[in-house]
Amino acid sequence: MKELSRRSFLKYTGAAAAASGLLTACSSTPKGAATWSMWSSSPAERKVWEAFSEYVQQQLKVESIPSLTPSGGYPTKLDLQLVSGTAGLVTALNGTLIPTYAARGAHRPLDDLLAADPDFELDDFYPAIRKISTFNNQTYGIGFDVAPTVLYYNKTLLAKAGVPPPSRTEPMTWATFRELAKELTRPPDQYGFTCAPAIDDLVSWIYCAGGNVMNDEGTVSTLDAPEASQAIQFVIDLFVKDKVTPPISNLVTESSSANFMEGNVAFMQNGPWQVVNIRKAKFDWDVIPFPAGPVGSTPRVSGSAFAIPSGVKGDDLQFAWKLLKTLTSTGALDIYAKAGRNNPARLSAGSAFKPPPDNLGVVQEILAGKVAGGHPFDVTTNWNQVKQLLGQDLPRTFLGQVSVPDALNGLKPRLDVLMKQHQDNIRQAEARKG
Amino acid sequence: MAVDTLPARTAPRPQAAPAGPTPRWRNKETIAAWLFILPSLIGFLIFTAGPVLAAGVISLLNWNLFSSPTFAGLKNFARLGPDPTFWSALGNTAYFTLVSVPLTILVSLGLALLLNQGLSRIAVFRSLLLLPYATITVAVAFVWIWLYIPHGGLANTVLGWFGINGPAWLISDFWAMPALIAMSVWKSFGFGMVVFLAGLQAIPQQLYEAARVDGSSAWQSFRNVTLPMLSPALFFVIVTSIIGSFQVFDQALIMTNGGPGSRTTTLVMYIYRTGFENYDQGYAAAQSLVLFGFIVVITAAQFVLQRRLVHYDN
Repeated sequence: MKELSRRSFLKYTGAAAAASGLLTACSSTPKGAATWSMWSSSPAERKVWEAFSEYVQQQLKVESIPSLTPSGGYPTKLDLQLVSGTAGLVTALNGTLIPTYAARGAHRPLDDLLAADPDFELDDFYPAIRKISTFNNQTYGIGFDVAPTVLYYNKTLLAKAGVPPPSRTEPMTWATFRELAKELTRPPDQYGFTCAPAIDDLVSWIYCAGGNVMNDEGTVSTLDAPEASQAIQFVIDLFVKDKVTPPISNLVTESSSANFMEGNVAFMQNGPWQVVNIRKAKFDWDVIPFPAGPVGSTPRVSGSAFAIPSGVKGDDLQFAWKLLKTLTSTGALDIYAKAGRNNPARLSAGSAFKPPPDNLGVVQEILAGKVAGGHPFDVTTNWNQVKQLLGQDLPRTFLGQVSVPDALNGLKPRLDVLMKQHQDNIRQAEARKG
Repeated sequence: MAVDTLPARTAPRPQAAPAGPTPRWRNKETIAAWLFILPSLIGFLIFTAGPVLAAGVISLLNWNLFSSPTFAGLKNFARLGPDPTFWSALGNTAYFTLVSVPLTILVSLGLALLLNQGLSRIAVFRSLLLLPYATITVAVAFVWIWLYIPHGGLANTVLGWFGINGPAWLISDFWAMPALIAMSVWKSFGFGMVVFLAGLQAIPQQLYEAARVDGSSAWQSFRNVTLPMLSPALFFVIVTSIIGSFQVFDQALIMTNGGPGSRTTTLVMYIYRTGFENYDQGYAAAQSLVLFGFIVVITAAQFVLQRRLVHYDN
């Protein structure tokens, strides 16, 4: 065997390093391209984002490179891209995570860009999505969709049971809803209601009762306050006492839309983002406003936005702003709404989100405050942790393993610790700003 | 029986060059040896030693991934003591390990003994039994979710044939962990089985013949011949199974997401959530180092025990 000198060893090592550097360079994004990231979990969704991408290319006359990731893995991939400096110029963010990213300095506030761009019509965006995209009085994102939770109902099932269809605009009371759900339940063949056994769905009932997960300042948890606990008890009773819901077989894969699609469930709580999937149902269905609790019909309003990572600076920043404006323009949101993905965040794109179902227009009427109402999803800067904690203990109440008061008493001190952490995050964000 | 040692090196040393002895690192054989282990060494340094060292450094920091880290000293380790979720995750992991490892060993050994009975088409059976091990955990986990459906799932349907009303496996406080363990045993017995089978086939037949001549029963042959001769394989499977089960993550994440409550939250799942969902990298690294410490101590203890219990014989 030929002896390997130290010099040749170093030479080969250097060559290998150079080759790997070259490969890395080849795999990086071309300069001047419009790079943006988005979640996409189905071929239909991918098609919409590809249409978005074409629209961006037409408008900006540069190559558009979307980075599409299945929704489950999107936050982790985005985190790694942000940390390694390989994130796109613009990234999509779920509204519940905007305070999380903003407080950690991962994304930049857009107020300076908005101030320097008087032509940008911020008023064309629904107030709810503007609130969702704001953290610490600064705008961190420009919305692309926003929608309130609504009640889906199986028209065929109600007609068969001889129950007249509910009002298209006037929310029914919780008491009426409960009676209807009980009346339409005939286990094991037919059930009155389905929703996810999770905080995401519970908050709508809590808001309708005038409660919340935490106080307005986000300093303490208020889940054990009478308003919130009564709302939770109401929903748990539907599951455990009245048994109007299909039995839960697994907390991970439990899906209200899958239950509803079976055709044997009268009502489902969900957002208009499910319309595109429920259109495949083999029965007649429609949407109506969410049932009204003690303070009215004010269910959760959620949305998503595009934001700019903090690492984007200089000329890239101006280009990123142009890209963000294009991605949230009426033209782009028309594509999104026409595909039926969800209600667009802009009022001017609203007409593109069309029936079926017949009463789909109620979504925009709710957002405009003409019918019923809504409550923007209030979250903290550590919402993942809050959700994780609630996701551990609340589902057990749906199973009847733990009573609501016991669950809430156990949760309260731990939630309060998380609220303190949330306040620390805000202080750190303010210190960074200052 | 005597324990053989490696034969003493008898090959003559290469003659020294007149100008003086060649440094050991320039010796052709040494260089060749290094080149052979280099790919593995590079992989180990980059993907194992590097991350362990990085975890050591990160555990001393407050770092949310995005902002600049600040020095935290040993605060992240101090947080472990009063953290009930950490201890419950550690307890769940220990429960999983204590039950799943012996079960896996028993099933693998039992099947290996069956396959070693001179069956025809042994390769077919071996391949079939190895299939669960070769299948992706995520896919297997989803299939087992269906098996565990309380109403109409295969598990409860079979129990129903015997008049047993099966539980709601994955949402039951008591049954969720045993359900995960059953799936994990099914998934991993194939590896141990193949190792045991190789070990069994390497046992010289004359030992059994000698035992028979001495009037040994089947059980005595198993206890006095098979087990001692199989002990290196047994030791290897126990060590790798314990390390693997301490790192259990994917099946728990997919099948129960750590629930109900935190009954199936494992330590690795908690570390992942702390680091990548709660953005508390320092604390996640501290937890990882503690897990690493547990695994090192347990493995070291096994290596100490093997001197007394494991029998190496050619």
